[in-house]
Amino acid sequence: MSTASERPRGRLLTASALIGPATIFVAASLLAPLAILFRYSLNGFEKTTKTMTEAVTAANYVQFFTDPYYTAALATTVEIALLSTATCLVLGFPLAYVVARTQSRFKHLLIIGIVLPLFVGNAVRAAGWMVVFGNKGFVNTGLEWLGLIAKPLEIMFTEKAVIIGIVAVNLPFMVLSLQSVIESIDRAVEEAAFSLGAPPLTMFRRVLWPLALPGILSGTILTFILAMNAYATPYLLGGPLFKMMAPLVYNQFTQQSNWPFGGAIAFILMAVTLSLTVVANLLIQRRAVR
Amino acid sequence: MNAFAVLRRRAGRWALNGAATLSLAYILLPLIFVVWLAFFRQEIPSFPPEGYSLRWFAAILDQRKFVDGFSLSFQVGVLATGLGLLLGVPAALCLARYDFTWRAPLGSLLLMPLIVPGVVLGTAMYVFHVELENALDVDVIGTFYALVSGHVVIVIPWIVRLVTASLSGVDRTIEEAAQNLGANRWVTFWRVTLPAIRPGIVAGALFGFVTSFGNLEMSLFLVGPGRTTLPIVILQYLEWKIDPTIAAVSVVQIALIAIAMLVTDRYVKLARVV
Repeated sequence: MSTASERPRGRLLTASALIGPATIFVAASLLAPLAILFRYSLNGFEKTTKTMTEAVTAANYVQFFTDPYYTAALATTVEIALLSTATCLVLGFPLAYVVARTQSRFKHLLIIGIVLPLFVGNAVRAAGWMVVFGNKGFVNTGLEWLGLIAKPLEIMFTEKAVIIGIVAVNLPFMVLSLQSVIESIDRAVEEAAFSLGAPPLTMFRRVLWPLALPGILSGTILTFILAMNAYATPYLLGGPLFKMMAPLVYNQFTQQSNWPFGGAIAFILMAVTLSLTVVANLLIQRRAVR
Repeated sequence: MNAFAVLRRRAGRWALNGAATLSLAYILLPLIFVVWLAFFRQEIPSFPPEGYSLRWFAAILDQRKFVDGFSLSFQVGVLATGLGLLLGVPAALCLARYDFTWRAPLGSLLLMPLIVPGVVLGTAMYVFHVELENALDVDVIGTFYALVSGHVVIVIPWIVRLVTASLSGVDRTIEEAAQNLGANRWVTFWRVTLPAIRPGIVAGALFGFVTSFGNLEMSLFLVGPGRTTLPIVILQYLEWKIDPTIAAVSVVQIALIAIAMLVTDRYVKLARVV
């Protein structure tokens, strides 16, 4: 490792030797492909022969924003991402608080229960929801048996199913982000609020929420990004015709072979996600300062 | 504190625990139903089940695509994790121990694959492979090596993140003490630093492997004919039907991941690494 006797040039050389290979590899297999994809998004496309034509034009971007079909897909994506992120925050906070404050020796099992679904894959979890919501699924059979409905509710292939699925996928990320911050808040601060006579809700609003704000921010941003980029959940639970941005990119590439337009949608998706994230960040930080 | 306040606090605690239980149940619900379905006797997922059976687990082995998909995903995962460790651990050492101008941007670059959408990663790599194939006149698109190199990109951020975090917890003075006692830098790394960051390396390798094994979106663009990873086989199957066979495949996958996590939990507290 490094010692004071090492000369600056030697240190720089060691540092480069350590980080160089990984940097070159990621630059070559991530930045270079993204640059090429961006260049493609400025190309033209011949619809009759389905071939890409060399050009430098913003036509693909213009086409996206002038066609209501595509702007509607963008609006649906943003709407679903906002709704599912808000739901994650409401559902995630109590669970994160309980996990952070529990003294139980089964805490690690609780955490495995939260983390395990993350690693099972979105397709498998979508399969679970299909069993719950299908026409002969658990919910419909149950409600019919209770005599509450006469014919099966249409839940599969609706926006509702997609939101329910995305919330379940993203909730663990929200819980883990919140839990790590709540754990770092001293219990005594809460006790002080209580002993001064604050009811639980006041304590939450005036003490816990402001102190947990960094975790709330990072969890919200993470779940928002994931919801914007969701592919498998809308594809399986919304059906092949459900229009969100990531399935749209896939469709343009594989079904239409329109690489320039697919590339343009990809960059619009990333740009919208990034700018909404930055705006949210600024708004919340300004409120926190006040 | 008066009795009313005590009562209110108790009610609050009940409401809190209830809400937390509901959230946890919500997270686990899809998995519970998949596991339940795997044991149904009839093929159609209708309720209540007509009976229970284990035959769907035996049926997995009759379908080559599941076995092949599993074996490919496993090979790619192991290789990508190995290569990711070779590249990622030194990079993490550099980020944690050296201060230089480019540190912050390089750190962000190595974590960037986590935030680029999977579909965008896949399309970008695909067009890159097309360009490479045209320029070099060798097979790139849909090859095993192209698939592995794509997976190394998504494994690296996990290893860099977890090993860097683990390095920041290592007391620098112990390393300095080793060097004062005459150990050179290699010996110091091998005998002092490495044992101290082993939990971070184990966790990084596990998360990297599981990320690679479960990756769907990026892999959709990198697989070739006759070479399909398990998540893609599952997706393609679910496109036309859901039955106990696919549920049984999922149960095997869930069980393997759960075992891997329980084993890792013995080495590192999962609560600290995610």
